[in-house]
Amino acid sequence: MAVDLEKILRPVDHPYPPYPAKYMTLASGETLVIRQATRDEVPTLLKHVAPLVFVERDYYDLVAARVYAELLGWYHYRMQDEYVLVAQIDGELAAIVNGRSVTGKQGMSLHTLAMRRGLRIGAHAFAAKMEYHIDILGQDEVLVVAESPIGFRRWMIEYQLEERFDTPHELGGVPSYALTKELFDRARSKLVVGRRPVPEDLLAKAHEAILPPSDPPTPPADLLAATRAKYDLTGTALILQRWAQDRSADDA
Amino acid sequence: MREVYIIGIGITTFTRLEYPLSEIAAYASMGALKDAGLTDVDYLVVANMGSARINSQSALASAVADTLSLTPAGAVRVENGPASGASAIKEGFMAVASGMHDTVLVAGAERMREVNSLEATDFVATLTHPMAEYIYGVTLPGHAAMFTRLYMEKYGVTERHLAMVGVKNQNNAMLNKDAHLHQPISLEGILDSPEAMTNNPWVAEPIRFFDCCPVSDGGAALILASKEVAEASGRPMIRISGIGQATDTLAVHEREEPTDLMAVRRAAEQAYAMAGIKPKDIDVAELHDAFTILEIVESEEVGFFEKGKGHIALEKGETEIGGKMPINPSGGLKGKGHPVGATGVAQVHEIVMQLRGDAGERQVKGAKNGLACNFGGFGNNVIVSTYTREG
Amino acid sequence: MEREIFGYKCQKCGTLHYPFRMVCKNCRANGYFEFDTVPLPHAGKLLTFTFIHNLPAEFEVARLGLGIVELENGLRVTGQIQIDDPKLGMDVVGAIEVVKRDAYDNRYGFVFRAA
Ligand SMILES: CC(C)(COP(=O)(O)OP(=O)(O)OC[C@H]1O[C@@H](n2cnc3c(N)ncnc32)[C@H](O)[C@@H]1OP(=O)(O)O)[C@@H](O)C(=O)NCCC(=O)NCCS
Ligand SMILES: [Zn+2]
Repeated sequence: MAVDLEKILRPVDHPYPPYPAKYMTLASGETLVIRQATRDEVPTLLKHVAPLVFVERDYYDLVAARVYAELLGWYHYRMQDEYVLVAQIDGELAAIVNGRSVTGKQGMSLHTLAMRRGLRIGAHAFAAKMEYHIDILGQDEVLVVAESPIGFRRWMIEYQLEERFDTPHELGGVPSYALTKELFDRARSKLVVGRRPVPEDLLAKAHEAILPPSDPPTPPADLLAATRAKYDLTGTALILQRWAQDRSADDA
Repeated sequence: MREVYIIGIGITTFTRLEYPLSEIAAYASMGALKDAGLTDVDYLVVANMGSARINSQSALASAVADTLSLTPAGAVRVENGPASGASAIKEGFMAVASGMHDTVLVAGAERMREVNSLEATDFVATLTHPMAEYIYGVTLPGHAAMFTRLYMEKYGVTERHLAMVGVKNQNNAMLNKDAHLHQPISLEGILDSPEAMTNNPWVAEPIRFFDCCPVSDGGAALILASKEVAEASGRPMIRISGIGQATDTLAVHEREEPTDLMAVRRAAEQAYAMAGIKPKDIDVAELHDAFTILEIVESEEVGFFEKGKGHIALEKGETEIGGKMPINPSGGLKGKGHPVGATGVAQVHEIVMQLRGDAGERQVKGAKNGLACNFGGFGNNVIVSTYTREG
Repeated sequence: MEREIFGYKCQKCGTLHYPFRMVCKNCRANGYFEFDTVPLPHAGKLLTFTFIHNLPAEFEVARLGLGIVELENGLRVTGQIQIDDPKLGMDVVGAIEVVKRDAYDNRYGFVFRAA
């Protein structure tokens, strides 16, 4: 009985080709490997995403919470045709990007979550995701939205996305933009890099374990000061600070 | 003129700081007061460029004096573009040298990360000529780019030289716990690998991402004191031996020789004359490398190297911490970060660390004379100052 | 109305200035209004240039060309450039066009193209 219900609830994934891993040299001289993650790796990813839910800055909290949910959705077979790419340096998790296919011809970009700053890893990972949709899956366009205004503006400027305001995006239906094959081809030489195949030892290292990010974004050091910095006299501008105050009130 | 000594220093980490601006200034000031063993000063000078525009707070000095409970001491804010910091030091110097005050707190602070990077770019660009430059979309990286192109053409500076400055300074910053960037970069990653041009995109051609300083928050502070107070404090005797300042045309295109930075040259000449020393006497320098080209050109204009030869010295490693003329051991603006109003004060913070022999892993051995160059506008308001360890 | 950008010519010594200043840089002898305004020539040589990729928010373009031009009469000006493959020293000619839109105001200035 239960088995049958599960059959109904579980979407059937289409047999899309996998993302062929690639590698590249970063500004630091380190090597970044971008590859497709497996379902089995979701629990490890969740562990590294969870702390970012509490970083109330640059929409890390919102993006991390949504990525967490999307990862769970994939893990429990509740999201159709989702894929997750991970970017790793020496095994260390540097970025997660995900998306799904709406149809064979249209892709939907979900999120880009960078865990190391200052090396343009987020940009590399986003470009890899676009490459997956357009080059590997052969889709005509990818729908894109963003939570962070500044990140979005950057993509708008770098890729010159087209408006698709009639097509709601799955992330709350905010106006969608589209990266078409033509736009992608124009940006390709400047933004899409990487070499294939990945040398075996590098790939083995990446698959061996997803190690925790070494310097992930963290919440403000002083929560109360951070609320003061937002000109908030009640000391509750940050959700975390509000919790801290509730806790001390409960103790009293 | 009385002699003026620096007896206390303090600094915050340069990064994104989620603290009110006045607290950033005050935090560094507390460090400086503690270092000097003082609880009180006669006068405060607070350097800051953008509080009214980007933090909606004017008259910052009053807020800092109050936050530190230093009222009723006099307090003033100095705004002089990216040279605000050194201008505040000069102001404090004159206050002590004149005999008007015995102890002065000089603090610099900026909180630019409160706005996004597009607004920060615009804010910094407001220091250009409003009608002849700003309206066209000129940015500071844009000025640096047009200047770099001429310098490359005339003196044979290449992208590789620029990148070498960036690599050196970001690596120096690894040795500085207060630096903004703790991320080493390599020539391979930003210049040579097949991915380098994507890792290191144009900001303003021919200037790339890693040729620019980052946009940072941060504060730094110094305690300036008369000789009597300095001797009584028991702190190392670091004397402000020379200060020079010069201006140049506001619109960059009006300069007679577009590859000269005359204000740097003139300010340096004044500083050396006042101190009675020569460029070769300087053991360590903090130069204003907001863009990598500037470190090279300033190293020539302050007299360390012949005009047009700065990049050769760089190539030979002379500007590294262990080299003949170490430049920007702190990481410079490139690695340490550039909270504009704080920068001039932070440069001197580093020089004092070096002259005291407290700089740890990045210590320049036996440094006795130091120099700082704080470059305002695109070279239209520059302060060069020198410092000497006594005893 | 034809728009022009003006240089300022000292009534005492004849030195031309751009942009405006209140006192002559050469003779320092004059005061306010002791300049004649002279429309700047439009032709000149490109002294240096850049393409800016990180622009302030008002500029809704991916990159913006800027240059310093030495005009025929020797004065130098900063302006935007619309030249695909600029070369140092090339001949250019400037038109006075909108260079920035500020809310409801248009700002006019030099836009240089290959001569
Ligand atoms: C170069 C520049 C355009 C990059 O801005 P940006 O692309 O918005 O940078 P981001 O916000 O994406 O930076 C992301 C990370 O990259 C790193 N980074 C930023 N700028 C950097 C730079 N110039 N060099 C090295 N790393 C940098 C930082 O680690 C940053 O992380 P953080 O936010 O945790 O500090 C910007 O730094 C700039 O305008 N610099 C010049 C500032 C200036 O003109 N100052 C006044 C001179 S007088
Ligand atoms: Zn005259």
